[in-house]
Amino acid sequence: MSQGQRVAAWIFAHVLLRAYPRSFRKRFGREMVADFEAALVAHPRFQLRVASREALLLVTNGLSERWSAIERWALWPGHTPHLYEPVGRHAMFWETLRTDLRHTLRQAGRTPLFTALTVLALALGIGATSGIFAVVNGVLLRGLPYRDTDRLVNIWSRVTQEGRLRNPISPANFVDFKQQNTTLEGLEGYFSFVTPLELATDAGSEIAFSVQVTPRLFDLLGRAPALGRTFGSEDAIPEVILSHGYWQRRFGGDPSIVGRTLQLSNFAFQVVGVMPPDFVFPYGGMLGPGGFTRVTRVDMWVPIAFSGPVARANRMLTESGALVRNVHWWGAVGRLKPGVTAARAETELQTIAAQLEQRFPDTNKGWSVTVVPTLDQTVGTVRPALLILMAGIACVLLMASVNVANLLLARAIARERELATRAALGAGRARLVRQLLTESVVLSTAGGLVGLGVLWAVVRGLVAAAPAHLPRIDEVTVDWRVLVVAALVTMITGVLVGLAPALTSTSINPQATLQDHSRGAIGSAGRRRIRSALVIAEVALAVALTTGAGLLLRSFVSLLNVNPGFDTEHLLTWQMNIPDRLHSNDERLAFYRDFFARMEALPGVQAAGGTTRIPLGSTSVSTTIQVDGRPVPVAQLPEVQFRRAMHDYFPAMGIPIRRGRGFTLDDTPTAPPVAVINETMARRMFPGEDAVGQRVRMGSNSTGPWTTIVGVIGDVRHGGLEETPQPELYITAQQNPPVAPFIVLRVTGDPAAMAETIRAEARAIDKDLPVYDIRTMETLRADSVAERRFILLIVSAFGVLALGLAAIGVYGVMSLIVSERTREVAVRVALGAEPSRMIALIVGQAATLALIGVAVGLAAILPLTPLLRSQLYGIGAADPVTLASVPVGLLVIAALAALVPARRAAATDPLVALRAE
Amino acid sequence: MDRLRVDHFLPLTPIAFEILLALADGEQHGYRIMQEVNARSAGAVTLHAGTLYRALARLLEQSLIEELAERPAEDDERRRYYRLTDRGIAVARAEANRLAGQLEAARARRLLGVTP
Repeated sequence: MSQGQRVAAWIFAHVLLRAYPRSFRKRFGREMVADFEAALVAHPRFQLRVASREALLLVTNGLSERWSAIERWALWPGHTPHLYEPVGRHAMFWETLRTDLRHTLRQAGRTPLFTALTVLALALGIGATSGIFAVVNGVLLRGLPYRDTDRLVNIWSRVTQEGRLRNPISPANFVDFKQQNTTLEGLEGYFSFVTPLELATDAGSEIAFSVQVTPRLFDLLGRAPALGRTFGSEDAIPEVILSHGYWQRRFGGDPSIVGRTLQLSNFAFQVVGVMPPDFVFPYGGMLGPGGFTRVTRVDMWVPIAFSGPVARANRMLTESGALVRNVHWWGAVGRLKPGVTAARAETELQTIAAQLEQRFPDTNKGWSVTVVPTLDQTVGTVRPALLILMAGIACVLLMASVNVANLLLARAIARERELATRAALGAGRARLVRQLLTESVVLSTAGGLVGLGVLWAVVRGLVAAAPAHLPRIDEVTVDWRVLVVAALVTMITGVLVGLAPALTSTSINPQATLQDHSRGAIGSAGRRRIRSALVIAEVALAVALTTGAGLLLRSFVSLLNVNPGFDTEHLLTWQMNIPDRLHSNDERLAFYRDFFARMEALPGVQAAGGTTRIPLGSTSVSTTIQVDGRPVPVAQLPEVQFRRAMHDYFPAMGIPIRRGRGFTLDDTPTAPPVAVINETMARRMFPGEDAVGQRVRMGSNSTGPWTTIVGVIGDVRHGGLEETPQPELYITAQQNPPVAPFIVLRVTGDPAAMAETIRAEARAIDKDLPVYDIRTMETLRADSVAERRFILLIVSAFGVLALGLAAIGVYGVMSLIVSERTREVAVRVALGAEPSRMIALIVGQAATLALIGVAVGLAAILPLTPLLRSQLYGIGAADPVTLASVPVGLLVIAALAALVPARRAAATDPLVALRAE
Repeated sequence: MDRLRVDHFLPLTPIAFEILLALADGEQHGYRIMQEVNARSAGAVTLHAGTLYRALARLLEQSLIEELAERPAEDDERRRYYRLTDRGIAVARAEANRLAGQLEAARARRLLGVTP
């Protein structure tokens, strides 16, 4: 053999063969080396590819042989005749493991209830923890359904004067950002709201929800369609791409849909593609505050036109035909160039924005840029809430572990004699620790396996119970990451719960214990310390959890008590699009007159009205205004929320009129323009003056008629119960009728029962009057706090669990302590101590431990309060009511839990107790 | 005893069957088995050292083959020779019959040409 071949043979024998179990090597190694050398002689030419493949095969075979050996030695010793047996150190290892496992199983079989309870406790802890992690993983950790989500960013305007960080941008600014930046690989735009389009069908119009996007958006996101193609060119031709859900729902998944033409709001659009089922764009968090509808479902994507009649209809162009720069309604997504950070892109875009401010001071003064990573944009709002849940479930798991540790500890004491005997017979410390850890790991593994069922149930339950608008909640599944975490949690728990009993048991002095035992005084100071520490830990965790739950509960209650500014009961709301053929204001007004007359004629209807933006969870729109007699530069004009009121809107909603009057039928299109404002606007803009009679003009034009304020209404919580009211101005729809209004109906009975009547009536009025998003105002109110309720529900469940676990834990430990002290108590009672003093002594001991636990717990949650603050409303994180009542409650629970064993001890007959020894 | 019954071993893995076939002509050492299997199956079954010796270990454990006590004197002293046991012969035969039955079924369903 050549030198090279000798080296190869050496590597074969001493490196590659090491992959095989030692005993296998002993039996076959020499043959294999001989074969290898023969093969070398037969094929003298060295080929790297062949050599590396052979080496890989050899090693993988060796590792599988090792694995099957482990399997057989550990699980089925003696099941198959063995060609080779484990030897030496290895034999010992497997032998020990087998003995320990057998011992554990026998022990488990002997105490089935104890085993079942322990496994169940661990299963609940492990399953619930992995379940919550599955949600965190699905919502926060997994990438969005785009290519390289890490490099995607959302771009917003930052309105520096008003401190609004995420304002939509204007089309002209978008184009400048796109052309001038050097840090982005691409930048695409979309209308930052959902547009309801009317799909013409034989049975009349129906509504489809669309988002308008620049044609290259799909390329930027890196997603191919499931069917057909995405938009072809930069020039928007009337094409449409459908969402998978809409394609399935509306067209039954018809594969010939591509190429068909849809009539959408009087334009013909050709279907060119269908996106895959997991594709979502935009997520709710990527939408701006404006828009026409509350709906965030997207059925289709339509390309944005930069010129032509559609662009004009979308108000993209000024009268001179240039792109609009002063109206902001676009969202934008960019892809960072490799290695560029969001912060660097922001710095660059801010420089460009500053140059635009110089060039176009009229429109761009005070408009800068914010760059937000797209994942943050999508789920940033729920991150604190989910992290709270994660922290909460970790506490619950810890508490469950502490309880199990406690049980094991108790059992270790009961088994002290057995362990002492083993030690006396020569078992070393390590050997005993190993046995006890094997037991706890077996228990936790069983818990983990049962926990998989819990995990599945928890994930199903959470997804079903979660509010629908929680971003990405439908993307939550149990994937490999969740399973890995579940396995890790199981292992860590197993070691954790076994550690305390294992460590205390190793300090056993066999001689003392065996002698001691005959005298019946078990327990060492060290073990008592550990047990006290467990009680303290448990109470501390319970304090942290229940304080969190208490704060959330108090916030929720104070939120529910917020007066929304109108009467939410007996109100039905919906949105509708009036027929396209009604073009002139007169036609529309005639339509609405007839419509409201028919609504009011329905049985059970008390009042009917409508508006363009409905409170509690709809979008908003604002306008700048000028006040007669107060000249102000254009860039500093105040901004107010702008709505239109239709028919009897204020009476139907139950919004009180504070001064002046509401709108009447006399406020016709030809009458002088009038407006009604809310109290906040009256207070802010006309402090110390009477707002009624003042004249204002909307927009920044210096000409045009003045509008007279005729009334002041009470404030309405528009954005949500927790948002302070903004200045609001209403005009009457009679002087400017909308096409897609929200209608409100005040009824005498259950509003939900009216929904079908309304649909039928709308169809009867006109077949092209699609009605959608029918909901009662109570539902809307409930939905507006749904996310909070969800979090509260879970954290409360944690809190209740924590209290229960703490009670069980204190009870268990005190029972142990009491049973250990039976002799002492009996002696004391025999010597004349009052039983009530004995009870006080024991309960006092428990209370002292609980008190320390409370102190530790309160100290522990202080650093967590910033995390909680985002979820609080109406109370501070240091809410005195919660911070006082939780500790008191826990002390009471601890005292009660200690009372039971204490009474038992005090009732012991000293004679019996002493004789039993 | 149940485990001694021939059926218990069926079906054999393709590699195990190939090894039994290679030993049907008489005793062989590992390297020769490998060469023969690779030559006869014309690449359909490739035996590597790792696979071969793991399979040999299983066959030895099941007593389908056994190791010869003596071997030719002129050979490499590291080599060992294997041959079929009676049980091994029975199992190999049963497996061949089983395969023949399958072959028959395939012919009957016109998946193969009829035997000439």
